[in-house]
Amino acid sequence: MNRRLTLTALLLAAPALASTAGAAPGSWRGTINMAAADYTPNFPGVKKENQLKVFQQIADEYEKRYPGIKIRFYTQPIPDTNTMIRVKAAAGELFDVYWAQAYSLNSTLPRGVAADLAPAFKQPNPYVPGNKAWQDVMDKAQLAEGRNANGAVYTLSGDKVAYTIFYNKDLFKKAGVTKVPTTWPELIAASKRLNAAGIFPMHAVPAYPWWSRHFLTDFYSKDYAKLTGYDGLPGQSPLDEAVAIHKGILTPKDDRFMSWWPVMKQFTDTWPKDYLTADPAKNYDAFQDFVGQKEAMLYEGSYKVREMLDAGVKFPVGAFNFPKLSKNESRHATGVNTANAYSGTGGFQFAMSTPLSNKTMREKGKTEAVLDWMRFFGTPRNLQRLTAEQGTYAPTWPGTSVRLALSNFDSGAITTQIKLPERSIGAQNASANLGWVDMQRIFGLYLSGNITLDQAKAQAQTVLDRAAQDYARKNKVDLSKY
Amino acid sequence: MTALPGFRPSPSPRWGTLARLRRGWPAYLFLLPTLLLVGYFSYYPAYIAVTRAFTDWDGLNVPNFTGVENFQRAVSDPVMGQATLNMAIWVVLGLILALVPPLLISELIFHLRGQRRQYAYRTLFVIPIVIPSLVLLLVWGSFYRSDGLLNNLLASVGLSGLRHDWLSDPGTALYSLIFLGFPYVDAFNFLLLYAGLQAIPQDVFDAAKIDGATGWRRVLRIDLPLLRPQLGLIAVLAIIGNVQYFISPLVLTSGGPGFATTVPALLMYFTATRDGEYGYAMAIAVLLMILVVALTGLSRWLSRGSR
Repeated sequence: MNRRLTLTALLLAAPALASTAGAAPGSWRGTINMAAADYTPNFPGVKKENQLKVFQQIADEYEKRYPGIKIRFYTQPIPDTNTMIRVKAAAGELFDVYWAQAYSLNSTLPRGVAADLAPAFKQPNPYVPGNKAWQDVMDKAQLAEGRNANGAVYTLSGDKVAYTIFYNKDLFKKAGVTKVPTTWPELIAASKRLNAAGIFPMHAVPAYPWWSRHFLTDFYSKDYAKLTGYDGLPGQSPLDEAVAIHKGILTPKDDRFMSWWPVMKQFTDTWPKDYLTADPAKNYDAFQDFVGQKEAMLYEGSYKVREMLDAGVKFPVGAFNFPKLSKNESRHATGVNTANAYSGTGGFQFAMSTPLSNKTMREKGKTEAVLDWMRFFGTPRNLQRLTAEQGTYAPTWPGTSVRLALSNFDSGAITTQIKLPERSIGAQNASANLGWVDMQRIFGLYLSGNITLDQAKAQAQTVLDRAAQDYARKNKVDLSKY
Repeated sequence: MTALPGFRPSPSPRWGTLARLRRGWPAYLFLLPTLLLVGYFSYYPAYIAVTRAFTDWDGLNVPNFTGVENFQRAVSDPVMGQATLNMAIWVVLGLILALVPPLLISELIFHLRGQRRQYAYRTLFVIPIVIPSLVLLLVWGSFYRSDGLLNNLLASVGLSGLRHDWLSDPGTALYSLIFLGFPYVDAFNFLLLYAGLQAIPQDVFDAAKIDGATGWRRVLRIDLPLLRPQLGLIAVLAIIGNVQYFISPLVLTSGGPGFATTVPALLMYFTATRDGEYGYAMAIAVLLMILVVALTGLSRWLSRGSR
C-alpha cells in the first residue's frame, strides 16, 4: 500500500469518528465482523451449559433495531492475538471490532491497526439515556491507563481481572496447613510445610509485572498522587511510568524499587526452579500442574476459574489474597492492602479497525456503523450483562457491580479484594520489553540465584533507561519537561 | 557440417545469446513457471529483506529509510553479542553432532554381516524421522525438568550429585539444547553417509584389506577420503541450518535464562513478531545471510584446500 492511500484512508476515518454523534448507524448495511475473545458467544468446543449467550442476544437486539445490519462473531480460537492482528492487518482483512491489549496497541503493534476512539468517547453515546459524553460512563483511571502519549485511545475498556492465590484445599490439608495465610511469614511457613510434605507450593513463572504491582503499590503508596499525576490524568499511564523512570523514582536508584526482590525470593526459594527463569507464556504448564494436583497454589487471574471449570477440576479450590506486608518484611512497607493492585483490563477491551487494516472499512458509512455498534454494546447496562454472564471479569464502570460465577469455588477472597479502592503502581507499560521480557529475565535470574541483587539492579537500570528512551523517541515526548 | 553420432555440434562463436535462447525455447518455456515461482517466493522476499533492512518498517505502514541505523544497532547491541557467541558454540558443536554420530552409525551398520540385519538397523535409525520435531522437543523438555527422566536416571544410578536444573541454569541451558536428541543420528546425514559407503567399490575395500588397512585404519585411510563429498555437503548444510536454527530455544526456553540460549535467529524472530520492529529484524536477517554465505564459502574453500 502506498503512502498516499494510507494517509487518505486515515484521513477518511478520523472525521468519521469525530462527526458520528447521531443515534443511528447511518445508511450503510452489511455484516460487522467481531472477534470478542473471552466474551464470544456460542464458542464451539465449550460444553452447552457453559456456553455464553449474552453477546449474541445484544447483537440480535441491534439487528432487530437496524434490519440489514448483521453482527457476526468469530468463533475460532486465536492463540496469538498480536500475530493475528499483524497478519490480518497487513492483508487489509482485520476484524471490524476485535479484542486487543491496550498496551500492545500503544507499543508493539503498528500504528493504524486500530482507530482512535478518543473523539468518539467525547461525543454522547445515544444508547445511554441523558449521556453527554460516552467517557462519562467509563472508569477514568482505566481510560487514562490505556491512553497513548499522542492522546489516542485505541480500546473501549470496561472490565478488569482480579488476581489472587488459588489453592488446593486437599493438598493444604495433606500438608497440615490448617490456616489460610494472611501474612507474608504465614505464606512462607505454609510453603515450607507443603515442601516438607513432598508437595510443590507453587510451580510457575513468577510474573514480574503482576507481583511487582503488589509490592510497589505498597512501598510507593505515599507517592501515589505524584506518580500518577505527571500526565494530569487519574491512574498510572505509560507516560507517568516513563517520567518516573526518567526521574529516578521507578528505578533501582530508589531503594523501594527492588528492595522487595529478596522478600519475594524467600517465597520462590520454596518452589522448584524449573519455571523461575522461564517465559511467562510458559505459565500454561504451571496451570496444568495445578489442575493435575502437582502444585498446591496458583497465582492467577479470575479468568482461570472458568478454565478450571472447563478442565473438569473436581478438588476443592479456595483463594486467598496477596497478604499485607509489615515492617518485618520491609522497612518500606506502609501497611496498605494491595490485594487489588493489579490494574489493566481483561476481556472487555475492544478496538475498531481502520481503513488501512481493514479494506471493508473504506465502504462509505461503514466506520460510522461499526462505531454505532460499539456504542450499542458499550453501555454500562450491556457491560453488566456481559460480565455477569461470563463471570470471571469485574466490570469497572461506575454503577456496575461484580457478579463472579464462582459457585463451585470458595470465592470470598476475590469478592473481598474487588471492593478495595483501585490504587496501582508498577513499571510495565511504557515500553514493550519493560515488564514481560527484559525485566522478567533479570527477575528470573535473580530469583533462581544466578545473579546477585546488585547485578540485577545494574541490569534493571539499563533496561529502564532504555525503556524510557524508547518511549520518548517513539512518542516524541520530552521527558525532561516533567 | 554434419555432427558425429553421439556428439552435439559445438556452438558457433557467431551465435549470440538470443540465438541460443531461440534454439532452446521449449526447454526455457518449461523452466519458466518454476523460475517465476522461485523468483517470487525465494528471491523477492530476500530482496524485500535487504531493502527493508534499511528502514524502520513496522510491517504495515510505509517504511521510512533510516540508512544503516539498524545495522549499527545490531552490531552494538550487547544481547546480539551474547546471541552471536551462543550461535558460534552451537555451530561448532552442531557440526560435530551432524558429522560424528551419523558417521559412526553408518560405519557400524555398513559393516554388519547380512543384508537383512543391515536393513533392519537402517530402518531403526530412519523411522524416528516420522516423529514431528516439536513432539521430540516437548518430550526432551520434560526430560530436563527437575523431576524429569534425566535427573531420575542420575539418581537411580547413584549420581544424585549430578542432578541439575538443566534448562533454568544459564551455565547448562545452551548445552542442554544443543545436546538434545540423543543419540544424535540425523536420518538424512546417516543415509547420505551410508549411501556414500555403498558407492565405494568392493574392489577398493578388498585392496585395502590386502594392504592391511582394516578397522580404524581403513576408516581413516579409505572411508573418510572417499566420503569427502558427503561430509562436505553435510558440513555446509549443518552450518547453514545451525546459523538459522531457533526452534528449540523458542519452544523450551524463549532464549533464557537471561539470554543464555538466545541466538541471532531467535532475536530476529522476537524482534519481528513480538516487538513489531520488522526493519531491525530484517537487518539481523541480512547479517545472518552474509554470515551463512561467508561460512559456506569458507567451508568449501577448506574442503577444496585439503584435496
